[in-house]
Formats: sequence, structure tokens, C-alpha cells
Amino acid sequence: MIELTGVSKQFEGKRRVTALAEVNLSVGRGELVSIVGPSGSGKSTLLNLIGGLDRPSTGEIVIDSQRLGGLSDDQLTLVRRDKLGFIFQFFNLLPSLSCLENVALPLHLRGWTRRKAVGRARELLELVQLGTRLDHTPDELSGGERQRTAIARALSVYPPILLADEPTGNLDTQTGAEIIRLIQDLHGRLGATVLIVTHDPAVATSCPRTLTIRDGRVVGDERR
Amino acid sequence: MILLRLISWPYTRKHLARTILTTAGIVLGVGVFLGMHTANQSVLYALHETVDRVAGATELQVTAGESGFDEEVLERVQARPEVRVAVPVIEAVVDTALPGRGSIMILAVDMTGDRSLRDYALESGDEAVVDDPLVFLAQPDSLIVTREFAEQNHLQSDSPVPMRTMEGPKQFVVRGIMKPSGLAKAFGGNLAIMDVYAAQKVFGRGRKFDRIDLAVSEGFTIDQCRAALEKTLGTGYQVETPGSRGQQFDSVLRVYSVTMSITSLFALFVGMFIIYNSFAIAVTQRRAEIGILRALGATRRQIRALFLAESGVAGLVGSTLGLGFGFLLARATAGYVGQMLEGISGIAQRVDEVATDPKLMGLALGMGIVTSMVAAFIPARNAARVDPVQALQKGKYQVLSAGENRVRRLTAVAFAAASVICLLVNGGAVVFYAGFFLATLAALLLTPALALWLTRAMRPLLRWLWPVEGALAADSLIQAPRRTSATVSALMLSLAMTIGLGGVARASYESITEWMGTALNPDLFITASPTLTSRSFLFPAYLGPTIRQVDGVEDVQGVRTPRVRFRGTPVLLIAVEVEKWAARAGRRPVEGRADEMYRLAAEGKGAILSQNLASMKGLHAGDLIDIPTPAGPLTLPVVGILEDWSDQQGSIFIDRSVYRKWWNDDRVNTFRVYLRKGASLPAVRRTILERLGTNRRLFVLTNEEVRSYITGLTDQWLALSYSQIAVAVLVAVLGIMNTLTVSIMDRRRELGVLQAVGARRRQVRYTIWMEALGVGFVGVLLGLGLGAINLHYVLEMAHRDISGMLLPYRFPTNIALMMFPIILGAAFVAALWPAESAVRGSLVQALEYE
Repeated sequence: MIELTGVSKQFEGKRRVTALAEVNLSVGRGELVSIVGPSGSGKSTLLNLIGGLDRPSTGEIVIDSQRLGGLSDDQLTLVRRDKLGFIFQFFNLLPSLSCLENVALPLHLRGWTRRKAVGRARELLELVQLGTRLDHTPDELSGGERQRTAIARALSVYPPILLADEPTGNLDTQTGAEIIRLIQDLHGRLGATVLIVTHDPAVATSCPRTLTIRDGRVVGDERR
Repeated sequence: MILLRLISWPYTRKHLARTILTTAGIVLGVGVFLGMHTANQSVLYALHETVDRVAGATELQVTAGESGFDEEVLERVQARPEVRVAVPVIEAVVDTALPGRGSIMILAVDMTGDRSLRDYALESGDEAVVDDPLVFLAQPDSLIVTREFAEQNHLQSDSPVPMRTMEGPKQFVVRGIMKPSGLAKAFGGNLAIMDVYAAQKVFGRGRKFDRIDLAVSEGFTIDQCRAALEKTLGTGYQVETPGSRGQQFDSVLRVYSVTMSITSLFALFVGMFIIYNSFAIAVTQRRAEIGILRALGATRRQIRALFLAESGVAGLVGSTLGLGFGFLLARATAGYVGQMLEGISGIAQRVDEVATDPKLMGLALGMGIVTSMVAAFIPARNAARVDPVQALQKGKYQVLSAGENRVRRLTAVAFAAASVICLLVNGGAVVFYAGFFLATLAALLLTPALALWLTRAMRPLLRWLWPVEGALAADSLIQAPRRTSATVSALMLSLAMTIGLGGVARASYESITEWMGTALNPDLFITASPTLTSRSFLFPAYLGPTIRQVDGVEDVQGVRTPRVRFRGTPVLLIAVEVEKWAARAGRRPVEGRADEMYRLAAEGKGAILSQNLASMKGLHAGDLIDIPTPAGPLTLPVVGILEDWSDQQGSIFIDRSVYRKWWNDDRVNTFRVYLRKGASLPAVRRTILERLGTNRRLFVLTNEEVRSYITGLTDQWLALSYSQIAVAVLVAVLGIMNTLTVSIMDRRRELGVLQAVGARRRQVRYTIWMEALGVGFVGVLLGLGLGAINLHYVLEMAHRDISGMLLPYRFPTNIALMMFPIILGAAFVAALWPAESAVRGSLVQALEYE
């Protein structure tokens, strides 16, 4: 499902910084994988590259048999739109929109009719147990509820791949655990391939496979 | 559309005040454009309408400029088989002594034939007046007025109407009241009909008519009739349809129209900058939102389209409001424009309605929307280029790279060099305007670098004055030149235009004052109207010697000033006694030799042109010109060119003897009176009025009164340049408020840390105020600098394409100095609210803004 071959990423600034160096990686369909590593190890960069939000300096990335190299920005966006769902540490919900509108947003971007988009959004919010909070805006929700909304949004077209960047980083322990359980539950029900970047060892060990990254390299690949 | 509702509308609603301010830029631009042009069109429409209504069924009109022609011309016209009916007309605008709206247009006709051309729909009971035209002839004091004029002045049949005539005050009697339709609506309903032969006496026409109105015989076309009459009468006469005659007014308003177009386009341009600034800020503020959209699958095109759609909607709303503002402005200014036109050119009309033109409205609306979208194009493109990864990392912003800076500077230098080349190469209008455009572009491209350099230069001073606040403010400006450069650019352009117009105003003022010093140096002016430009009444020539006999009078010069059609333009022909005029009011020519010029003109062997006419027609000393006269074309060499401000269309000076010979017209518009040394001006004035003014229409104006009148007209005309200052202030307020909002957003954490380590709110406010004053100061400096360059171009534009006058370069120091307190004051006001918002936000939120 996800193949990285010789992927490196350098950032040019006053100094050249190598965020990732010669990463080779393969993630199969339906796997639930955690990615761990110290701050600055390149975890988020890896996720951004897989998600098509950024481009590698060298190497090749293949997502669901689609090579990302050589794609135009629009083509990359379409891959992102159709095959990937993002869950962010800081939720990244639009504050002026209700839960329903936030979740329906990706569908509007795809040109879905209003009725169809709202119907799907309602369905997703029910899935994450937020059926009673449809008209609430993010500032009226708890941290956990916001993250569940963000998860519902990420699932808008039931993408084959879900990428979660520190999904519990902004939540207390109990709420974080609830979110992880939700992600695992959805993984089981929908069969999506899920990658979770995390600092939390408990989250890491709850996944069947853990990749360890240090100094831009994959130094560990543990399967349970 | 759904994205507009979900994404754009919440942002707009949240920042409603700023949205309104931004839209105000378009409202201003569209409103000024529509208002000025509508006022212009309304005046023209009123003029055309009067011409058309008065013309009635007239198919052709015969004129000989404004000088009129002898009665015998009528017989020659009537003798043509192509002419079915031809009637004489005298037309004049006069003040009655009525307490109501006294100004009235007199249409003097020969009622025996005029009913074939005009329909006099009288109220019942009055029909006898027109049914039997001999009633008019037998009672030459008869007037037919319109119902509107009658109601306003409480008149009915047999009511007296006092009028000051060339034969002194006389009573006329209302013998008929016209129903309000057709002819009766000309001149806003302020129209009266009288007998043409009575009018000759009233208006001092002698044995002349102003024009002949005629209808074409059956079996002939208008063109055939026209050709026949032109052949019969010669080139000194114009034979035109009434509509063509109306078009000559367009050229009189041309100068004003061009100036208005420049002003309104400039207002739109400034509006464009305000929109650009606002959208650039919006992209910055919504960076995270854009990042989210991109992460969710929005393409770059969708992002770009979203922002362009927002700008289109803002443009539509702003333009629609601008249309309303424009109409209000047109209503307010139409009367002003009409008065100014009457004062400058002597052409009177009543502007009672604002003429709406759907095409102009559509154009204004389109311009507003297009301007808004063009302004938002670059921010929209930048929004589409937002890096979603960086955008989703809070607190990180794109920074202008050194490479991009260098390209900008190099491009600016290239443009500047190209504009200099355009200046040096005398390549005509295209090269000139290309050079102007390139110079402006170069200035805009250099603005970030210049603003940065100036701010760096200011930093030591700011730091010395306020060690913490001043340094922070300067550092904020230094670290983010792109943030402030749009505001500084808008300020710079606005002030540059202010300086340009101010410089033209100053140069014009000085030139006019200097011209008045020599050209208008008589002690007294005797006219038949209270202004020098109205030409409805004329004096007989014999009045000159009579005035000369008044004790204290040393010299009297009669001047005749009809308009003649010269190469398609209605210019002022000034017939003076050149020898006397040169001795008293002679000026050095800009082309030709003074002594030879005046001598040849006095001998009737040449004409002197005004500089603006020579410029506009491409004429030089030595060229031959043909002046149309009733006796045929008068060919004279141009013996000299003078700087002269008598008329915006231009003037031709010839000796009165030449005028008398070729126009067979001995009448005078104005007597210029010079007093003996030691004579009492008030006493001489009083004597003239007593001796000559009791039984004739006569005004005696002192030199001071005439200068004051001309200065007043000039002030009206030049008031435009002061309105630019208001635009500059508005730009300052809008731009600086927006800039500071972004600055505070960018520095939220920094300002939070400042307060957390002990800075008081007052100190934070000071730093914001300093920043605003810094932006204002830099904007003023750059604006004055660009203004000094701009002034050269504006003067050249005025010379080439507007008035033809060659004005000296005079930097308007007083306006420049005024800009400092005005703009800095505006900057301070603009900073008040942002400074408050900077100190009132949550400190905790500011500190966790990472």
C-alpha cells in the first residue's frame, strides 16, 4: 500500500538540514503502524511526504500503486483527496464552521451536492459518536470531541490510508486513550491502512507494528 | 459558491469593519468615476437638450461663430430654392430683476415665420398672441414665458417683467404662457420668447442676427441644402444641423472631462491598492485555514478561485454602493460644474436633472469588479502557493528571500533606465506615457527596499527618543518590509498624485497671476454683463469716445471677443487695438519677436496666437492660418505666440480694424479703461455709472474685482488638487490600520512576552503608534520624492493633452509640508484601535501562540 524507496528530505536554509536520509519502507494494506522517535527525528516529515503534503529531495514514494514522483501539484492533491485522510495534533478544524460543516468540507471540495455531503457527514459523526453535536462549533467541544470531529472529517470518503500526526498530543491521558481506541476500532471496521506518529509509548505499543526513527533514519521495525 | 458561504462569509463577518473599509476603496473609485462623468454628461445633456428643444423642426442652422451677421444674409438664404422657410434668431441668457429664479434664456424670433419651425403651445386664452404674429410686432415689449417660469416668479398674463437692456432698464409684459412641453422645457423651463427686432435693441445686436434656423424644401435633402448654402455664403459661415452645433459644447468641457477621468481613474487605482493590501493581509491571516483546505484536498486552483470570487463579490458590492455614491456626487456637483463652465466659457445652461447613462453605469460597475479582481490576483496566487506544511505549523510565515529582492531591484533599475530613455527620446505620446508608466512601476518595485533603507536610517533616532518602544517599532518594520510595502506604496502613489496636481495648481496660479499683472492691467473694465465671459450683450463702438471724455480717464480700449470655429475648435477671437494694447499690456512672446509681432498685428498683417492654442494645433510663428469670417476666409501669418489664459480652448489676437473689416461688426464686449495718474478710481467709476449706466445696461468692474473673479474661477478649477489630499488621508488610514493588524498578528507572541516580562500596556501602545508613524513618515518621504518626478510628467501631460499650456516646474512646497502633519495625524488615528487590540488580548493565548 505504501512504498518508500531511498527517500531523503533536505531543508535548505542558512544551513542544509537533513530531515530524512535514505528511508526504505513498506506498509501493507490494512496495517496499523505506529511511528516513534525523539523530537526532530523526522517523524512528521515522513508523514508529510507520505501524505503528499511535501516532496522528497530524492527517492520514490508509491501510494496504493500510484507513484507520487513526477505528479503535478494538482495530481498530488487529487491523490491526497482520494486516498488519504489526515488527523492532526491540533485538530485543525475551521473555527467558524459547525461539526457537520467541518466534516462535510472535504466533500464540498470534491464537488458533492450539499445534500449528499451533509448526509455523509451526519453518518460519519454518528460513527464517532458525535451525533448530538452536529451544530456545535469547535469552541463548544472538548478536546476529545474536536479530535473525533477531525477523525470523522479524515474519513469523509473512507480513504484507504489514514495518517495521524500525534493525534493524542493535545489531549489528556484518558481522552487520548479513547481516541486511540476509536482509531483502532475504525481501523478494524473499515480496514484502512493507518499510520500514527506518536511520542506516547502506550500508543506505540498498542499498534501491531512500530517503526522507530532516529536522526532521519528508520532504526527499528518491531512487529507484535 | 458553497465555499464562499462556508469559508469566505465567516471571515468577512468576523472582520466586518475591515471589510467595509476595504470595500470603501472601490466605492470611492467607482463613485468618483461615475459621479464626475455623470455630472459632466448632465451638463452636456442639458446643453444638448436645450439646443434640440429650441431647434424644434429646424433642419439646418446658419451661424458665423458668435459674431452674428447682417440681416441681408437672411434674404440670401431665403432666396435659395432648397430652403422652404428661414427665420432669424437671437438667443441670449439674461438676468431679470425678478425676485425668483431670475436667469432666463431669451429666444428672439420673427413670429411671422417661426411657427413653421417651433410649436408654441400656449395656455388657453393666450393663443391670439401667436395666432396673430402682428401682435408681437405691434407690441415689441411682449414676452411669452413658460408656465414653470411664470409659477416660480408669480407671473400671469399682463404681468410686468423688468429687464436690464442695452438701453437701460425696461419693462416687458407677459402676453402668453406656454404649456410645459417641448420648447417650454428648454433651459430647464426658464425660457422666454420675444420679437427678434426688439431683441436687436435689447441686446445691442445692431442690425445683426445670431443665426438663421431653416427647414429644407421638399425634393431636396439636408446635405444638398447645406452644400448649396455653403456655396452661396462662403466659408465664414457654418451651416449645420442642430445636433452638430450641440457637439461643439463637448470640446468646451473636454479639458474638464480629461481631468475628471484622470482623477477618477486615480481613485480607482488607489482603491485597487487598498483591496490588494486587504487581501494580502487576509491571505496571511488565513494561512492556517488555507493549509487545512489544501491538506483536505483543495487544489491550488480552488484556493485561487475562492479568493478571486471573494474579490469579485467585494467588487460587486463596492461598485453597487459606488453607483449610489456616484449619483449623490453627481447631484452635488452638476450644478457646480455648470456654474464653472459658465464662468469659464460663458456658456450657460440649467442642470436640473442628473442624466443617467446605463452604459456609463455598466462601465463603472465593470471597472469596480475588474479592479477588485485584478487587485486580488497576486494575493490569490500567493494563497494558492501557500505551503500546507508550513501553514499548519503555527507561527511560521513565508519570508521574502534575498533572491526575490534582488530580482525586484534589478527589474526596477531596468524600468527606471527605460523611462529615462523614453524621456530623452522625443517619440510622441506612446513613448511618453510608456515612460511615465515605467517610472511609476520602477518606484513601486523599489518601495520595499527604499522603505527598508529609510526605516534603518530612522532606527537610531527612534531608539534615542524611546529606547524600547522606538527600537521595537523600527525592528518590526525592518524585519517585515513586505508587510508594510503595500501601504507605503499606496501612500506614495497617492501623495505623488497630490504633489503632481498641487504642482500644476501652483504653476497655473503663478502663471495666471503673472498674466493678470500685465494682460489685465486696466484700472476699470466696462462690460455689459457682471462677468467677463458672458457675451449676450454688446456695446456700440461709439460708447468708447464717450467714456474717454469722463474726467480722469486717460485711455479707453474697446475689445471684441466672439468665439469662432478654428480648425474644428471654438476658440476665442480677441479683436483689440493692438498698438494701444501692446503699449499698455504688451507681453514678451514665447515665440516671435515682440516688436515685430505687435507691429505686424497692428497693421493687420498677422495674428498672434495663445500658447495653448498653438500647442494643441501644432502651430508656430510663421505658419499661415485661415480664420472663417462672414466675408470669407481670412488668411494671416502667425506673427507671434503669447502665454495667454483668456480661454482654455485658445485665443487668436487680431487688430480691431481687421475684425471690423471682415466681420462688418463694430460692437464691443468690453472697454478697458486706464485712468490718469492721480485720478480717483471710485470717483471715475461713479461718474461713468451715473453718466452712462442709468439708461443702459452697463457694469463697471475694478481691476481688483476682475482679478478676484478670475482667481475665484481658478480656485474652483484647482479645488480638485485639494480633494486628492482627502484621498491620500483615506488611503493612509485604511492602509495603516490593515498593516498594523497584520503586524500585531505576526508579533502576538512577541508582544505577549513583552507584557509578561513587565512592559506596561502604555509601552506596548507606544510601540504600535511608533510603527504607524514610521509607516506614515516613510510613505510621505517616498511620496514627495516620487511626486517631484510625477510633477514633471503631469506638467507635460497638461501641455500635451489637456490644456496645451506650458507651465513651469514649481514644486508645491506648501502642500508638501502640509502632508507631514496630515498623514502622520492620520497614521496615529489609524493606530489607535490596533494598539488597543494589541494590549487587550489574552496574554496566555499570546504566549502559547507557537
